[in-house]
Amino acid sequence: MPLFEGLGSGGEKTAVVIDLGAAYTKCGFAGETGPRFIIPSEIQKPGQQQSIKVVQYNINTEELYSNLKEFIHTLYFRHLLVNPRDRRVLIIESILCPSHFRETLTKVFFKQFEVPSVLFAPSHLLSIMSLGINSGLVMDCGYTETLVLPVYECIPILSAWEALPLGGKAIHKELDGLLVEQCTVDSDSSTGQSLPTVIGSIPEEVVEDIKVRTCFVSDLQRGLKIQEAKFNLEGTAERPTPPPDVDYPLDGEKILHIKGPIRDSVMEMLFEQDNEEKSVATLVLDTLVKCPIDTRKVLSENLVIIGGTAMLPGFLHRLLAEIRFLVDKPKYRDALATKSFRLHSPPAKPNCTAWLGGAIFGALQDILGSRSVSRDYYNQTGRIPDWCCLSSPPPESVYDAGKTPPPLMKRAFSTEK
Amino acid sequence: MASLLQPDRVLYLVHGEKKIRSPLSTLYFCRYCSELRSLECVSHEVDSHYCPSCLENMPSAEAKLKKNRKRICNQLNENFRCANCFDCPCCMHTLSTRATNIPAPLPDDPSKTAMKKAYYLACGFCRWTSRDVGMADKSVASGGWQEPDNPHTQRINKLIEYYQQLAQREKLERDRKKLARRRPYMPLAFSQHTIHVVEKYGLGTRLQRQRPGAPITSLAGLSLKEGEDQKEINIEPAQALDEVEPLPEDCYTRPINLPEVTSLRQRLLQPDFQPAGASQLHPKHKHLLIKRSLRCRKCEHNLSKPEFNPTSIKFKIQLVAVSYIPEVRIMSIPNLRFQKECQVLLTLTNPVENITHVTLVGCEEGDPEDINSTAKVMVPTKELVLAGKDAAAEYDELAEPQDFQDDPDVVAFRKSNKIGFFIKVVPQREEDGDVTVSFKIRHDFRNLAAPIRPSEEGDAPAEAIWLTHHVELSLGPIIA
Repeated sequence: MPLFEGLGSGGEKTAVVIDLGAAYTKCGFAGETGPRFIIPSEIQKPGQQQSIKVVQYNINTEELYSNLKEFIHTLYFRHLLVNPRDRRVLIIESILCPSHFRETLTKVFFKQFEVPSVLFAPSHLLSIMSLGINSGLVMDCGYTETLVLPVYECIPILSAWEALPLGGKAIHKELDGLLVEQCTVDSDSSTGQSLPTVIGSIPEEVVEDIKVRTCFVSDLQRGLKIQEAKFNLEGTAERPTPPPDVDYPLDGEKILHIKGPIRDSVMEMLFEQDNEEKSVATLVLDTLVKCPIDTRKVLSENLVIIGGTAMLPGFLHRLLAEIRFLVDKPKYRDALATKSFRLHSPPAKPNCTAWLGGAIFGALQDILGSRSVSRDYYNQTGRIPDWCCLSSPPPESVYDAGKTPPPLMKRAFSTEK
Repeated sequence: MASLLQPDRVLYLVHGEKKIRSPLSTLYFCRYCSELRSLECVSHEVDSHYCPSCLENMPSAEAKLKKNRKRICNQLNENFRCANCFDCPCCMHTLSTRATNIPAPLPDDPSKTAMKKAYYLACGFCRWTSRDVGMADKSVASGGWQEPDNPHTQRINKLIEYYQQLAQREKLERDRKKLARRRPYMPLAFSQHTIHVVEKYGLGTRLQRQRPGAPITSLAGLSLKEGEDQKEINIEPAQALDEVEPLPEDCYTRPINLPEVTSLRQRLLQPDFQPAGASQLHPKHKHLLIKRSLRCRKCEHNLSKPEFNPTSIKFKIQLVAVSYIPEVRIMSIPNLRFQKECQVLLTLTNPVENITHVTLVGCEEGDPEDINSTAKVMVPTKELVLAGKDAAAEYDELAEPQDFQDDPDVVAFRKSNKIGFFIKVVPQREEDGDVTVSFKIRHDFRNLAAPIRPSEEGDAPAEAIWLTHHVELSLGPIIA
């Protein structure tokens, strides 16, 4: 990028692109090749040791407002180092984000930080933009859930979405359970103690670190054998040889011995089919079944996998193998004619792909300007338009002082005059 | 008794969008609006950037434009990272440059070797060095270290250019439509209703105007046609792969060397690469810090503006509340008993140089601001006079003691600009928790920031206005 672009060349300043995820937030500027910072979506209150998660949907508005305010404050003044008032904001969100959260976030941006405009963009659509294609089946493996949404000719097929709560959070819980159950801790005074006696519970950060550094996803054959051995009641099925144990240091004094079998079996929970026969791989096939027939071939040959959980070693290979294995099963064999599946590799790591799409979109200054919700519009209507809510007035009518406003949609259906 | 001086014992009420109660030491005072402001009701702005380790100032954007561009080119760092300092990728400490002498052949005579200085980066905390990642030693002390480039930069730039072209097309189409609609005969042909229908149901073409907030049909259907533009940029859409690389076989059998595997935090510091192996962790330039300036939202005046120089902690503008508003502090509390009248000693300090008159008023019944008090309070009814703050008073032995007639029942002592006075407190509630009282303090304030009047008025002192603040005191638990 030329060095002086945006510095008084007549254009406006580059927009700020924020991807507010449940576990990590990616933030940076439009037009760049990667986010400047990937920080945990947490705030630290003075006096409390435990950090508070910012993205919570069940807390009341006051608390959410103050959490978001503090988080966005650190984002601007510790990491991005720019004035909020100068730059437009592009927020990348999941389409399943509750309206209440969106409204609170918008209020923080407009009332507290007085940004000029805000635009909420769906992450699945922006990932397609980072590849230069028009259609694709996007699967976002994140922290709270895995969400699949197909996009055909740049339009999301909203009716075909599928989701499962199998993400980083579920993996951490499972891993925590296995560690407490099976592993021992050596401290300087004793050896071989069970975990709960030495330290109360493992903080989630440590569990996440163990997951990232020691665990991996086995390939299909091995994975199926592990699942068989786990669910086998007679005990006849044998588990393949586990990988070696790992000594993980905790706090500098204690050493946690992680058993080998944990390392490859904890990830199987993503691919084990539960009672409804759903797993991360069946999501893709179920979505395809829901999509219109003529779109299926294009979608199945353009799979895009984004999200932090997709960066586990061996995940993509296993996912593709599972999809191909499952498509031959009776459930899908007749429903889906297409058997070829292809995977894209975007020009960024899977956890930054949605952000990159946002950065590319944010670099188109006129488009960003015309589609954003400006501060004036927000001050006049007091709310932000949402894809699921049809009663927002179109923006032009808000500005025409002389004309009477056009009839809102609800008037068309009601009998009031 | 130091706990009586804790800042959150005495809270002042700030009227803003939200009513905030906080100690005077954390508040600002806007001279122009004559109101207290807290951190939540002012707007924060970035004032200047500086590097925390080398304390070098990064010029702000306006300064860059005014000065000579060529000279600034070397220092210009849009990344907000210091050009000289590096962070250790393992422990995030600041790296220091170390020098060694290595034998190197002389340029003139290859057979002779002479000692040359070679520089490498090392961390004093975790003993990481730049040689661990294979970075060669440099011959210059600073400026030789480069961060690796993102291999996808070119592709991304091409994508941006392609989409910018599509965006241009959409803009042209939109402008053409807008222009077409402005033709004068249109309103005659179309009634008000039809225009609304058209707006409501769209134009039925693929180039439907986007409502803000609607799912972005990002430039749908606007692919470039062949030969339409002279300088069209075509990009190849990304190719999907049939096969993905599987895990290496030895992953199942090889024992891990845990220090060689990067932790998540180390990976996320390098968002472009996120390497899994510690041998690929390259140092990054140090991130800058900022100095913040505060601005009142109503009158847009600066409340706090720090010095430009990073080594200076002073302020150019510092409108803090403690230098304008008299401060109430608790001096001593007797044993508080339920329903018994106790006398509490408070001090009042005058921060300005003029004599200040202070009146205390108790809160009335049903006062909407009075929500926390759990006791009745009787404040002195007479007006209290505070002497001005005189910096030279302690050195001036011949100064006449100022004679204020103080009622000994009300005023306990007087010392330069501070007085101690009594209030009577009757705790009303017998419960666990602190006894809280509140009252209003009314004082005169001379606004020196008033606009300069024409000199016909002579040397009139600035007019005094009366300000009222709501104060809450937390006096501690009831001792039965």
